[in-house]
Amino acid sequence: MTSPDDSYPRDFESNSAENDFHPTTTHHPSYSNQFAQNTRPLIDSARNGWQSRDTGGFQRGSSSVDDIKSPGWSQMALSVASAPRFRRCVMIYTALFIFVCIGWRMLSSRLQEQNSLLHSLDPTSKTERVGSFGANSLPQFDGLIQVHTLDPDLVPRDLVGVDAGKSSQKRLIIVGDVHGCKEELVQLLEKVSFNQKGGDHLIFVGDLINKGPDSPGVVDLARQLSASSVRGNHEDRILLLRQELAKTKSLVTPDDDEYSRFDPRELGQRALARSLSDEQARWLENCPVILNVGQVPGMGQVVVVHAGLVPGVELEKQDPSSVMTMRTIDLDTHVPSPKKKGMNWAKLFDKHQSKLYSSLETSTEDSHVNTMTVVYGHDAATSLSIRTFTKGLDSGCVKGGKLTALVIENGGKQSIVQVSCRDHLKE
Amino acid sequence: MRSPVTGVLWLYGLLLATTISEVCGDTKPNFMSVRKNVTKEYKSEREIPKEKYFHESDFGHHYDGRYANASLPDTEVISYLSDLIQTYFTTMNAIGGETWIMHGTLLAWWWNQKLFPWDDDLDVQISEPTIHFLAEYYNMTEHHFDLPNVDGGRTYMLEVNPNYIVKSERDTLNKIDARWIDMSSGLFIDITAVRKDEAKRLNGRPEALMCKDKHSYDESDIFPLRDSFFEGVPVKIPYAYTYILEEEYGPRALTRTNFYGYIFNEQTKIWESATRRSKRSL
Repeated sequence: MTSPDDSYPRDFESNSAENDFHPTTTHHPSYSNQFAQNTRPLIDSARNGWQSRDTGGFQRGSSSVDDIKSPGWSQMALSVASAPRFRRCVMIYTALFIFVCIGWRMLSSRLQEQNSLLHSLDPTSKTERVGSFGANSLPQFDGLIQVHTLDPDLVPRDLVGVDAGKSSQKRLIIVGDVHGCKEELVQLLEKVSFNQKGGDHLIFVGDLINKGPDSPGVVDLARQLSASSVRGNHEDRILLLRQELAKTKSLVTPDDDEYSRFDPRELGQRALARSLSDEQARWLENCPVILNVGQVPGMGQVVVVHAGLVPGVELEKQDPSSVMTMRTIDLDTHVPSPKKKGMNWAKLFDKHQSKLYSSLETSTEDSHVNTMTVVYGHDAATSLSIRTFTKGLDSGCVKGGKLTALVIENGGKQSIVQVSCRDHLKE
Repeated sequence: MRSPVTGVLWLYGLLLATTISEVCGDTKPNFMSVRKNVTKEYKSEREIPKEKYFHESDFGHHYDGRYANASLPDTEVISYLSDLIQTYFTTMNAIGGETWIMHGTLLAWWWNQKLFPWDDDLDVQISEPTIHFLAEYYNMTEHHFDLPNVDGGRTYMLEVNPNYIVKSERDTLNKIDARWIDMSSGLFIDITAVRKDEAKRLNGRPEALMCKDKHSYDESDIFPLRDSFFEGVPVKIPYAYTYILEEEYGPRALTRTNFYGYIFNEQTKIWESATRRSKRSL
């Protein structure tokens, strides 16, 4: 066996011969020539600056091992590092290493997430969870409707029944948060060729009003098209504010000191509350917190809410404030929260329904009959978010994103239609 | 059982007929009639008081020692507290004071819109204009109520802490801005005012609100208030009630069904004593 001292220069030699010298250009033939006639004075081989380093390598190659021991190390390292193949290898291996690291981290966090979701939905861990959300006696609020069921005549049907006559084509057009962007809504309705008489029904996921340019106009259009809507957090706030203004008799004219007492956002809300007519306000008040669309063939039960639902809790027992504002959910207790940081409620809900679906798959013909699909808005930060059992449609229209419609046709065929929007918050 | 609405109307009628006229002569200052004088920026007194205004009795934390010498028997406390909160909200509804339930009382409302059987602490909050309104027009007023099942009725007093003009949290001796006191038993409701937090507002939180008990909120967490019922009377509830409770007590407070020896019966929606329950099952 050779000692390291011995082997290195030799390795280096062959290495440099292979890597360094071959790719060099026109001077290469003269080099190999020199290599053969080692006897010539070395000074003759010096041609110009760029060659001097390489020739140095040669000199060492021909001298004794002990001689070059210390300068050889650094030279060698430099040379190896500057070798294109080596550099290529290092780059490839580094990239591979980083890729594997990131991949592993993503995979493990996904696995972890899946595990925590499954644990959270495991009925045996329920006792650990010290009860679950929805055990309380739900408070009643004046002027707030919890659940409303959609007229079954408006719901898309089975494909089998449809073939008989074309006229029975039914579509549900479910539209994300409009926020007073009437122009964009009109464009979207044109794009989906909305036809009320042809069996289309329009549903909004709430937040029709506030922020954008023409809230009363959007309400009027919705009423004119006999649309359905759920109550969003913005409707909720504006309607409560309107009641308060009516009670303090300042619904018609603002108080003298209002401009000094409220910040611009509050002033905007008060102005909007005043700009709504009694009929518009009444129409909005009649929008339930939860709209139960009922059974859609191929989809199961479809429910429209503004923000979200807690999995496993009956519609009548869902906390209305949470239904209008939730973004995340606590995995221990299933208590929802409007906070952005935490587990997305829709992920847990989707997992809950997938588990239910796979447990039913073998037992019934249409396993979708017992599952629930939630169509919601509210979460512009996550934008369009389509899962099997949760459909998030808020794609940030009012801030220059898109306005989204989910179109459900006979047989449960679903498609997404979008139009681009102007940024109304900047204007 | 009488229906809550009739009960409310009955109390309300009594209040109008007997209480206010006694207290204030013929005029009845309503918040709406005087609001032009109270809706303004409120300056804070700079000096921090060195004395505590409201004292607790030495026999019980939730009794006012000026009106009682001993605490009530445990079995009677809840009915006294129920009358206390009903009369308070009836009075405030009548004079137009802006008030809502908070803390443990809000949690009790969340569970079944009734008092917790183990908790003798009642908490309500009022807005900044309302504490000024109460201090100017209703401080030290007595309000008599002819209550069903109470011989001769009871009289309640609204007392405002004169240090309400000190807005600073450093006034740790006077965190409570007012009390609604049952003069027959010494039991009372703690009333704290929620004010604009000028310091935080200057530091980029334009909606910041504060109380002297160091709780802080955003304007949009509390307002606009919601209308609901508690112990059968109409009360106001802060807008984002679930979020407020979760922030203050953690999510488990909204799911745990056993507290302090009581178990929540999910069928009847009543907190039942765990000891009584186990005896029955034996």
